[in-house]
Amino acid sequence: MTTTSRVAQTAPPAEPNSPASAAGTVRSRSRIDPTYYWMVVPVLALFAFFITLPALVGVFFSLTNYAGYGDWKFIGLMNYVNIFKDPAVLQSYIFTFVFALTTTVVVNIVALAIALGLNAKIKWRTGIRTVFFIPMVLSALIVSFVFNYLFSNTLPVLAERFGVTPLATSILANENLAWLAIVLVTVWQAAPGATIIYLAGLQSVPSEVYEAADLDGAGSFRQFLSLTLPLIMGYLVINVILGFKGFLGTYEIIVGLTGGGPGMATQSVAMRIFSGFTGGDYSYQMANAVIYFLITLLISVIQLRLIQRRGVSL
Amino acid sequence: MVPLSACGASPAAQTGTTTLRFMQNKPEVVDYFNQVIKDFEALNPDIRVVQDFNEGNFVPGLVRNDPPDVVTRGFAQATADFVKKGIFADLSDMPVAKTIDPKMQELVNSWGQYNGTETSALPFSLAAAGVIYNRDIFEAQGVSVPTTWDGFVAACEKFKAAGIAPIYGTYKDPWTLAQGMFDYASGGALDVGEFFTKLYAKGARITSDAPESFANSFGPALPRMLQLASFSQNGAASKNYADGNAAFAKGQAAMYLQGPWALSQLVAANKNIRLGSFPLPVTNNPEDTKARVNVDMALSITRNTPNMAAAQRFVNYLLEPSVVNTYNEKNAAFSPLKDAPAVSNPQISGLNAAVQEARYFQGAVTYFPPSVPVNNYIQSFVYSKNGEQFLAALDDEWRRVAERTAV
Repeated sequence: MTTTSRVAQTAPPAEPNSPASAAGTVRSRSRIDPTYYWMVVPVLALFAFFITLPALVGVFFSLTNYAGYGDWKFIGLMNYVNIFKDPAVLQSYIFTFVFALTTTVVVNIVALAIALGLNAKIKWRTGIRTVFFIPMVLSALIVSFVFNYLFSNTLPVLAERFGVTPLATSILANENLAWLAIVLVTVWQAAPGATIIYLAGLQSVPSEVYEAADLDGAGSFRQFLSLTLPLIMGYLVINVILGFKGFLGTYEIIVGLTGGGPGMATQSVAMRIFSGFTGGDYSYQMANAVIYFLITLLISVIQLRLIQRRGVSL
Repeated sequence: MVPLSACGASPAAQTGTTTLRFMQNKPEVVDYFNQVIKDFEALNPDIRVVQDFNEGNFVPGLVRNDPPDVVTRGFAQATADFVKKGIFADLSDMPVAKTIDPKMQELVNSWGQYNGTETSALPFSLAAAGVIYNRDIFEAQGVSVPTTWDGFVAACEKFKAAGIAPIYGTYKDPWTLAQGMFDYASGGALDVGEFFTKLYAKGARITSDAPESFANSFGPALPRMLQLASFSQNGAASKNYADGNAAFAKGQAAMYLQGPWALSQLVAANKNIRLGSFPLPVTNNPEDTKARVNVDMALSITRNTPNMAAAQRFVNYLLEPSVVNTYNEKNAAFSPLKDAPAVSNPQISGLNAAVQEARYFQGAVTYFPPSVPVNNYIQSFVYSKNGEQFLAALDDEWRRVAERTAV
């Protein structure tokens, strides 16, 4: 679009449907414009150098006993064997998966509800939409520090005043409930992103189908189940997949809220892996990272197959 | 960076002066050392000293084979690892080494000596931690500093009866539980240094029923910890270290299980507060009462420095009484010199006797390798009160780390 219009402005005498000749280069139609390579190759090089290469170095060191500095030697698959014997690592996997599943479900329910509300013809719709999207703009770390304060100070004071004793101590200090606080804050932060995708989906549904359903006498709940939901199924799948993958790597909200505590209750896999850098446990946690990478890869492949079956493309 | 480039440009650099790089581990005392360096350079015009207070540069310096010439570090597990790899030069022949209190030198040597006999670091500053108490509250309630565990419990009951929280707890920051009630109770109940020496010697072959295990050694300390926890204010689980400093400075509790690092924060929050410290008595024999200490700064010279003579002159100067004693007096710490004067600072003078009689220990948590999340385990124990599970978890975790780092 922009190319043709610029050509039209700067070089009116040239042939209108060949902008390349207007730019001064002459080549055959079958050759691919090298610009595309200029776009892709540097990014590929940067990606390879800063992501792929360090990842391979990590895989290499996972086969050694390297502490992050000093001498090291090859120890084969010992790190991998030890990880499978480590209940603390297993606990972090269980926590992360339970957390990711719960959060994905809650985020999608909340986001769909908000999207339905914001899609209806309500008063001050634009203003309310803006308010709902603010959490997306804020940094997750700042949000979690604010909630940390609320959970630790404000909520207990209010609970004490109104006589709700179970809430009188911070839920962040409760080993069985702290993860719910993390789910809550994550949902608060992640719901707007999902809401935007749902809103886009809802706006793509033509209003005629609802008019037809009205004539057939379908109530609004029936309309939602039989019309809206099937028509936005592709958006739901995208939200579930993107959300689940993101929540598996959860890190900064936990750091801001509980720091992995109380005790070991909210240590996510990403936190365990990161602890290897400071803990002299580099190669061991690298092995953990490799295992985690393979697991997420497997999940991604399964999800992609599901998507293809539904005919949705990311 | 700036002083470095400035020194390269100065004319003195071309007339054969030696430039020493001095890395120290406490960014908050940069000004003091700037003054020390200025005085040193005035006395030794052929040496220039550049101060670097970014401790994070130390390992990269080793990797580049360009470490600083003179280093101060907090002395615990991590520095001991460097000693074992022979990073530091032997200082035992320096005359100034003889002026150091041998018991404080032993705190450094107990972590292991290179080649079995070398002195890789000389202590410069010793931080002693005990119970910080509010003198006004103690006087108002007519409570004197307890010297036995029973006396301590009685004092706590008295505060409780008067509606004052005996101890301010900040359980939300697990490290405060670790350095506080866990280290104090275990340090008073057993010989922590000996325990870990045996444990390290045992390596990966440790089992829960071995006599060297946590399960068989730390048991007596745990009821003390739970009793200390029961004397904390309500809602301690939601408070962190910053909350604790603010609340204790306002007089919301009588005692605070913190070290000298908290003193300046408390005074900053309330400049009228009158504070004191005493070592927590864990038994009923006052002779057994010990303070938790750590070698906050220890001086080392890197083995491969090309400026060994200049570095030794600088270390000699740093350990002159006027330098080292003044530093420790200003920073609520204890001087390592044999004939250092008794500390007069009323905030820490209560720990004087314990330090002078060497009734002290290095905290149990400082012996753990960083890959064991011991602080979190301690926090778990304080909440669940399940001591067996706690000690079994420590034994298991210790064995797993020993297994994978031993290979």
